[in-house]
Amino acid sequence: MTLPEQELESVIPDLRDVPMDQLADLGDSVLAHSIATYRQRLKGAGVPLNSFTSYVGGESPD
Amino acid sequence: MIINHRLSRDAFIALGHGGGDPAVIQDLVEAQYSKHLMLLHAVAEAADAADPSDPVTAAFQAGFSLMARVQAADSDAAAWQLGLPQIGAWAHDCLTSLDQGSLPDFGYVACAAVAAAVRAGITFQLAVPVHDGRVLLPGLGCLFIADQLSWIRLSGDGVRLTAGNDIDLPYAALIADDGRGTLLPQWQGTPLIRAVADGHAWDVLLETHDRYLDRYAQRMPTALTADEITKWRHIIESAWLVLVRRHSWVAASLATGVSVIVPLVPESDLDSATTPAAFGAIATSLPPDPVMMAETLVHEFQHLKLCGLMDMLPLIRPSEETVYAPWRQDPRPVGGLLQGVYAFLGIVLFWGAQRRVETDPDDVLRAEVMYERWRSTMELATGSLLATSALTPTGARFVNLIREQGLSLESESVPAEAREMAREVALDHWLTWQVRHNAFDTAGVASLAASYHRGEPLLDRTLPEGRIAEETRKVDSATRSRLLDMRHLDPRRYRELCAAGVPGLSKADALLINGQDSAAVCAYRDEIACDGRQPEVWVGLALAVHRHQASSPLRQVFTTKLPLMFDVYACLSQQGIRSDPLDLAAWLA
Repeated sequence: MTLPEQELESVIPDLRDVPMDQLADLGDSVLAHSIATYRQRLKGAGVPLNSFTSYVGGESPD
Repeated sequence: MIINHRLSRDAFIALGHGGGDPAVIQDLVEAQYSKHLMLLHAVAEAADAADPSDPVTAAFQAGFSLMARVQAADSDAAAWQLGLPQIGAWAHDCLTSLDQGSLPDFGYVACAAVAAAVRAGITFQLAVPVHDGRVLLPGLGCLFIADQLSWIRLSGDGVRLTAGNDIDLPYAALIADDGRGTLLPQWQGTPLIRAVADGHAWDVLLETHDRYLDRYAQRMPTALTADEITKWRHIIESAWLVLVRRHSWVAASLATGVSVIVPLVPESDLDSATTPAAFGAIATSLPPDPVMMAETLVHEFQHLKLCGLMDMLPLIRPSEETVYAPWRQDPRPVGGLLQGVYAFLGIVLFWGAQRRVETDPDDVLRAEVMYERWRSTMELATGSLLATSALTPTGARFVNLIREQGLSLESESVPAEAREMAREVALDHWLTWQVRHNAFDTAGVASLAASYHRGEPLLDRTLPEGRIAEETRKVDSATRSRLLDMRHLDPRRYRELCAAGVPGLSKADALLINGQDSAAVCAYRDEIACDGRQPEVWVGLALAVHRHQASSPLRQVFTTKLPLMFDVYACLSQQGIRSDPLDLAAWLA
């Protein structure tokens, strides 16, 4: 198996140190692209539920 | 310059093996915080374009400004508030509303901002929406509003909150209810469970009022009585003790990643759920005992971890493929199978530890069978995933890590009785699924039936290839299947039922359940001879053959070709040709 590189870059911009009232100043940067990607994903696959139901027998996760 | 969140190789491997220490989970939590900010920004852009005179738009703008002030003054309070699962769910629903051209619930952000301001001791003045006589402060509780209003103006001076002529409460009283405070007529704190075991603490909210967490297949109760809250406190505290003492591999991580439990109104013995829209929330009905609560927490936490990871790293591509999942009655999409196998990896690890500490024979049996049942599915399910074309390269690496962990558990020994029970339950599920969902070309079946009838040898003949279909044949075997499961899930009830006689079982099923395997084979053959159109009888025959003819090649035929046998038999019957299922199986072998 090929293991990933030392670090994997995610698709979520790191906004931990960005003040909320300065988010708009980021403009059409990584943020806009990430939002567009996320919305595209929502449209494509929706947000599935992981549902589990169990009778004594007959289990069904995901 | 903004960079994206990153995940270390070690964290990726730890998650793939079903684990992840609190630092790894904190990486996921912080990525979710950024995700919430990102979505909040998307909603803010929509609010900027909305009618500013609309009260909901004004509430959003005021709420957003207040939250920004809280963030500047007390970043921890803002991060806690914005990281709540209901904030993610709300933002998700806003985007969905916007995509559908409807107005999002902008006002909710004003309520969240007030909650954050109260926690941080910040001054504010803003209008918030009232629903059913209540103002929800997410993560804190509800204010009760006596007047029939749809909006109310709240003021906070940094120490006290006031509203209208009736409400004047100290910030210090506006807290979640950990069961030790005094009751106030105008405030109901969200139940907060402070579970502590051996010095390890887990604070988790029990949420029944936030509509953004009422989003699962089963509904959230409208309210819990004091007795019901007490029951939840006890079972969560007891489950935490189980996790801390017996499952230290997951306890602290779970406490890092799970902040809210959503009670569900049960529609079965146990219902539980998670959604990537609400990372950090586990929804569940009240499990029967602390061990099952602990198992449910581990199971659903696995889903949450994978949801968090999949938000960060795409593991699957859009795909229409469906596959067999050893825990579902329906063909599953690839994403569903990945979620399921990851959940069951957690379940295997849970029972692997639990089976070493149980002492009651029934509990030992349950733990051993659960461990074996789901351990044995790892290779099958990961193999199915890797055979699809829907995994990204990162997804394939992740599935290989799950597989690797599954293989590492193969050498663990399990008592023979438990192993046999687990294998039979797995076989029953597989056979039932195949009969339900494997469809064959009619002409291919007819040709095969004709060959059999003419007595031609099968030789190298290519058999008709099955395809997965939604529901090809209706299989009515729930009673038998549940009894087979009940042997280990609830042995006492199983013994009582067997002693009293189980209603609704056929003669053949009763013989199978009673362990009279040879007689069961004969009885199933008789039932098929009378009416061969009942798929559940064929599944029963396959189970009986498996038990009775341990070294027979027929076992393999019944395991892999049961739906084809059923169709060939039916084809012959339609022509008035009587055949015997064991003879047909021998021919196919």
